Amino acid sequence: MMFLTPDFVKVLINKHEVVIFSGATVADAVRAYSRRSSKLLENGKFNVLDQFGNQTETGGELTEGQILFLKKRDYEER
Amino acid sequence: MKKGNLVLIAGLIVLLSFQGHSQQKATGKQTEVIILHVNDMHAKIDNLPKLAYLADSLRKTHSYVFLVSAGDNFTGNPMVDMISDKGFPMIDLMNRCGFTVSAMGNHEFDLGTGNLNKRFEQAEFPFICCNMDATGTPLKQPKPYLILEAGKTIHIAILGIIEINDKGIPDTHPSKVTGIRFFNGIAKAREYSWLKKKYGILIGLTHLGVETDVKLADSMPEFDEIIGGHSHTLIEKPMMENGVMIVQAASNLNYIGKTTLLIENGCVTDRSDEVIPITALHKADSSLVKLCGKYNRNEEFSKVAGVAEASLKGYDALGSLMTDALTHQLKVDIAFQNNGGIRVFSLPQGPITIKDIYQLDPFGNMVVTFRMKTEEIQSLITYAFNLEKRLDLQVSGMIYRVTSDDQGHCLGVDLLDDSGKSLDPSREYTVAMNSYIAASYRFNHSDPGTSGSATTAEILIQYLKEVKQVNYTGVKRAFQITKQ
Repeated sequence: MMFLTPDFVKVLINKHEVVIFSGATVADAVRAYSRRSSKLLENGKFNVLDQFGNQTETGGELTEGQILFLKKRDYEER
Repeated sequence: MKKGNLVLIAGLIVLLSFQGHSQQKATGKQTEVIILHVNDMHAKIDNLPKLAYLADSLRKTHSYVFLVSAGDNFTGNPMVDMISDKGFPMIDLMNRCGFTVSAMGNHEFDLGTGNLNKRFEQAEFPFICCNMDATGTPLKQPKPYLILEAGKTIHIAILGIIEINDKGIPDTHPSKVTGIRFFNGIAKAREYSWLKKKYGILIGLTHLGVETDVKLADSMPEFDEIIGGHSHTLIEKPMMENGVMIVQAASNLNYIGKTTLLIENGCVTDRSDEVIPITALHKADSSLVKLCGKYNRNEEFSKVAGVAEASLKGYDALGSLMTDALTHQLKVDIAFQNNGGIRVFSLPQGPITIKDIYQLDPFGNMVVTFRMKTEEIQSLITYAFNLEKRLDLQVSGMIYRVTSDDQGHCLGVDLLDDSGKSLDPSREYTVAMNSYIAASYRFNHSDPGTSGSATTAEILIQYLKEVKQVNYTGVKRAFQITKQ
């Protein structure tokens, strides 16, 4: 019997742990976090911010333990 | 005011702002050095002519202008990634822009060792990386650092660092880095802290992601600046961490970073950084525009492989198409496709071009086939479901039903044929999947698997050419039942 090793990363989105395959993008992680949030992100209603407040593009690749926040775009621009 | 006038004025403002910010300091002992930086270009060649124009404009008015990439130059544009000489257009255009240096990113390895060696040779600039050792492999070993010279007295050491995941390799297909040894980037970088003492100025050109860049800065205050990539972060105002300036310019050439260093007696006395939206640049190098057009007009990619009778939307429809291609073309019983490998949200009704397929499936994954018992197939589906806490695998050749608890844990998997009968547990089935699933998912399989010679995208193209028309309206093959 052969067992291949798991290959995934754990990140936090809005303080919720999301476990996802290694090589996943921010968009993949948001999709795994919440379908609704994913749709809002695709429609430009949300921004993804890192723990330092920088905007992160959805194609960004994840690193273990990365902390991300979804913020409504109109809220930020107010 | 006419729109044209507005554009002209906006262009002038942008041009003046660049010149105003970065005039060569002719007086005193201060020397100004400009570093234009990009990261994660992902083969998006269309904005390189604007970058070239900006770089050339600055070179006319400044003595010391460098252009650097923080890695991931490839993967993301089939016109670059999926041609026979993979990656050639990107390096050709980077050469013409006058790049000074590039860090190694994880997606550099996607090209494969042979192609990457060709790109190293083609590039008129070095790739650098301090935490990899390709000794004993076919890959040419990149140098760990590069020393830039600004006149006779100013030397700037640029150290390349790449991310590695918890398996000890960068995020690429494991087969692409076979035999290459990688080391913790922060620990390895510390071994090069002597560069600061020797040259006076030390810059990290990293492909680590911003969170790791912050840890690197905490560990190594010797850096004057860390120019980062990997996380596609737009750092509009440079971050200062432990005295180190950290910058990054989003991705896909949507932004260009511009660092200005003021140097006196071989040391940085002032530093600043700004990100310039590519949309603020209105002029482009005309010769590169033509060249991009040539690369984009690759007729091979506009050919129609098949026709969608109705639009294909979402994972179920697109994944069913992709897996049907595998079962049909490889004559296997069952095929799987992971949702993460489906890279477009929909294909519209009408012609499906070769380019569409490479955008849908851009990774160049090979097909791997296994002989599997039903319990082994169940272990694959269970692993995938528990990983995502939701359905993750699309399928052809059967349907399946996952029963889960309300926490998203898989309690059981039913495997059914098209008529709703359970698959035969005493039988072995031939099962195809992409090499990413085969390599990355943990599941039981007594057969180690057999890798094919075609990519999943190539197989899909062959399939569409054969069946000519497809319609996946309402198709769903994976189901979830949640027990309360």
